[in-house]
Amino acid sequence: MTARSLDTGAPTGERAAAPSPWKRIWQQDAPGYLFLLPWFIGFFGLTLGPMISSLYLSFNHFDLLTPPRWAGVDNYVRMFTNDPKFAASMRVTMFFVVFSVPLKLAFALGVALLLNRGMKGLTLYRSLFYLPSLLGASVAIAILWRQIFAADGLVNKFLSIFGIIGPSWISNPNYSLWTLIVLSIWQFGSPMIIFLAGLRQIPQDMYEAASLDGASKWRQFWKITLPLLTPVVFFNAIIQTIEAFKSFTPAFIISGGTGNPINSTLFYTLYLYQEAFGFFRMGYASALAWVLLALVALFTAFSFLTSKYWVHYDD
Amino acid sequence: MTFRMDRRQFLMGTSALMAAGAAGISPSWAQAANMRLIFWGGQSRADRTYGVTDLFEAATGNKIDGEFLAWNDYWPKLATQTAGGNAPDIIQMDYRYIVEYAKRNAIAPLDEFVGGALKLDGFDQDQLEGGKVDGKLYGISLGANSVATLINTAAFQEAGVEPPTNAWTYEELMTKGEAFAKANIRNGMKMMSDGSYTEPMLDNWLRQKGMALYTADGKLGFGADEMVEWFNLWKTMRDAGVIVAPDNQALDTGPLETTMLVSGKSALMPSNSNQLVGFQALVPDKLDMVGYPRLAAGVGGGHYRKPSMFFSVAGSSANKEKAAEFLTFFISNSDAAKILGVERGIPCLPATRDVVAPTLDEANQIALNFVANLGDLLGPLPPPPPAAAGEIDISLLRTIGQEVSFGARTPEDAGPYFVSEATAILERAS
Amino acid sequence: MTDAPMKLTVVGAETPVWRKRLTSVVSHGLLIGASILMLYPLLWMLAASFRPENEIFTSASIIPTSWSLDAYFRGWHGLRTSFSVFFTNSFIVSIFSVIGNVFACSLAAFAFARLEFRGRRMWFALMLMTLMLPYQVTLIPQYVLFRQLGWVDTFLPLIVPKFLAADAFFIFLMVRFFRGIPRELDEAAMMDGAGPWRIYWKIMLPLSTPVLATAAIFTFIWTWDDFFGPLIYLNKMSDYTVMLGLRTFTDSTGMSDYGGLFAMSVLSIVPIFLFFLIFQRLLIEGIATTGMKR
Repeated sequence: MTARSLDTGAPTGERAAAPSPWKRIWQQDAPGYLFLLPWFIGFFGLTLGPMISSLYLSFNHFDLLTPPRWAGVDNYVRMFTNDPKFAASMRVTMFFVVFSVPLKLAFALGVALLLNRGMKGLTLYRSLFYLPSLLGASVAIAILWRQIFAADGLVNKFLSIFGIIGPSWISNPNYSLWTLIVLSIWQFGSPMIIFLAGLRQIPQDMYEAASLDGASKWRQFWKITLPLLTPVVFFNAIIQTIEAFKSFTPAFIISGGTGNPINSTLFYTLYLYQEAFGFFRMGYASALAWVLLALVALFTAFSFLTSKYWVHYDD
Repeated sequence: MTFRMDRRQFLMGTSALMAAGAAGISPSWAQAANMRLIFWGGQSRADRTYGVTDLFEAATGNKIDGEFLAWNDYWPKLATQTAGGNAPDIIQMDYRYIVEYAKRNAIAPLDEFVGGALKLDGFDQDQLEGGKVDGKLYGISLGANSVATLINTAAFQEAGVEPPTNAWTYEELMTKGEAFAKANIRNGMKMMSDGSYTEPMLDNWLRQKGMALYTADGKLGFGADEMVEWFNLWKTMRDAGVIVAPDNQALDTGPLETTMLVSGKSALMPSNSNQLVGFQALVPDKLDMVGYPRLAAGVGGGHYRKPSMFFSVAGSSANKEKAAEFLTFFISNSDAAKILGVERGIPCLPATRDVVAPTLDEANQIALNFVANLGDLLGPLPPPPPAAAGEIDISLLRTIGQEVSFGARTPEDAGPYFVSEATAILERAS
Repeated sequence: MTDAPMKLTVVGAETPVWRKRLTSVVSHGLLIGASILMLYPLLWMLAASFRPENEIFTSASIIPTSWSLDAYFRGWHGLRTSFSVFFTNSFIVSIFSVIGNVFACSLAAFAFARLEFRGRRMWFALMLMTLMLPYQVTLIPQYVLFRQLGWVDTFLPLIVPKFLAADAFFIFLMVRFFRGIPRELDEAAMMDGAGPWRIYWKIMLPLSTPVLATAAIFTFIWTWDDFFGPLIYLNKMSDYTVMLGLRTFTDSTGMSDYGGLFAMSVLSIVPIFLFFLIFQRLLIEGIATTGMKR
């Protein structure tokens, strides 16, 4: 969806009269680039350089401590032919993305809808629900999660009421990844806020009209709320997916940086981190990063292309 | 050399696209004798360390800025600083990383200062050897320690089982463990943590067999048969309930509070002698320590006195000689010794040990006595491990060990797999 | 509070009063239940900060047997530098980051959302790409750059990127919301002879309070919670931020003061929680009530 230009409202005659290229540069291009100036400085100075650097390093062996040695495509070849940990970490990350993103978004949307009914105590609830997200990657989380999901943790104490003896969820390779998914859902604050802001954008008169027509709440949700919210859903989905692919700290903190048990929580970026700073293979880690970047870029491009079929813009 | 410069300049250049103009202003990093020191540890180690740097400043006028970080944060930071050409002058080093840093000249050989700024007369020979890579001295041991089995004595009393002594064997581990499990104390506490993927435990077992984890030329020092036997040994104990169940054991991710000993799931745990103090602070019951179990009665030689950590000097330091002076001060000054105690292990100079010994509390006394009286448990110092040893430990032994413990792999399958993968890692790293 | 939902129920007049009440009770019940479930870990942490040290990992009950503020005093002065210094540093870094991000990102977002210039789509795609690169690999080249500039050991590497709109997430967020503002408003201003700057300053910014507040809140919280940046760039403990101070508490190789850790973790949330409380008021005034209704 492209934004219309500022001068669409201008009389057409003016446009026909002065097609001088300089005028076009001055009137159309210059303001855009001026507004982008800080970003350009940051992009060229802080981002592009390091990006090119890492692309270059991905074709090198670089141990951080001595200068890089040219490796051609060795790193990429090894990744796809001879690295079981690459495959394992890819599987873990895919699983995490596929389950954590929809669940987190559904949860955030559900709570946002509940909170958007103008009920009393809205600000209090909203703040309480945001609290877990405030903890971020605090070291305390590792200890808290153990209190909940270890063999003698809270979950199993609850299950024992019904006579069920649960496993040690957090350290059993069959379930450990799920405890990280739960952590990700628990910290649903930021998509919730963005959903709330989006819900506020929906004009109330549309609901009033629908109510007059006797549409049920359920029908209103499907016919008004959801379609009008699709741009926000789209935004949240893109951002959360990218974040999930890049997710690092939960696994880092909870598994102590190991990705264990049996690599069941070896997130892709955790593996990348181990390669870079644990085993001093920055070249290989850079190659890993570029494969991730390509993968996420493909996914994002695909989402943008398909978005026109399900994302509704009101203009 | 010019080729090297080009590569490095490229790395810097691309990141400095916009900053090229400003790059001309080079800040003065190396001011006279203002040195930087970096170490991992907690506040209590920091207090002791800063006490010594203050003494050093008062005595020599050389100022040292210390910085400390938790273990997990230490290594990425040190690697970043080193890669950025901004490494601190004095660097606390671990056995696992010293070869890595030495081979890349990130830390400097100190031989030229020995006898001059660096006074090592009487320094324990094995501790001196431990700091050498390819025959050159890269790290000064700050203390010796040994692997040790920590014992929760109260738990043994409760279970009515006699706690092990330095004479104990793997067979005793089995029989005592069964008795311990039968007593069923404290909600199913087991006698011992699972040591099947604890690298020093495997190393100790191999050494008693006359083998080693790694040979002097950096190859694997054992074969698939040993590995199968090792995994089977632990599988038998696991099946008999002698050791902690796999999903409990996997809760141990490194920090002390996650270990089976602290969480009360086992009464014995393989660890290091200098860590008794740390564990004792977290466990209400009284702790003691003995050696690792013997292969059979009378078989020894598995243990050795290992440098617990080193101080090294950065290859890029402009004050190498001053840094060496500081190392001398740190290991030999008697006021410094009183401040440092045995927090970093047993001091390696006899004179320093004499100063420290009378000042120790009970837990530290136990550790000191244990390391001083290893007797026939003590064997020769192994050659420094190859650079890939850390990777084999972290990404191979632990993973395969967990696979076996969770039943995802049989010992018969895991043994050959481990050996072939470890060999591949060693080849790739060399 | 807006009055819109009230209208909704008035319009749906056939809904009986008892049903309305029931709905309200049920939804409050749901929310309260969910809050308790969600907040349990935090309550546990709060309780742990008041407990005697040896009870933290052994006690089954969430209520401590005895209450003490000991851990707070111990924690506050537990490191060589007191936490008041860390809190001050965190405030400085976070506040400047908020100002930088809100200003620089809204400028860029305005250009992407409203201005027509050549190369816009390409730059937008490149901007999105910067979202996707894991920071672990750009860390070293960036460090080298900042060291060349002599910025290591200062807050500049943490703050300056914010003024250069390095957080693509916020640009993306603002672009989405700017596009939701009716174009008729700036077209009308154009007719009155307003240039892009005046449209940005007089129309877009005032109408975008919710998204600017969102950006401010997120920036503050994320900067506050960040530990990797401070870890790499700050060497002196007197420059440490709260998160870095907290991590220094827990070294896995030595003794750790868990009571102090939990007490300081609790305190570390307080400023960001207050910031959230204050700024979330701005989220309430939706665009719906200011722009689109007219």
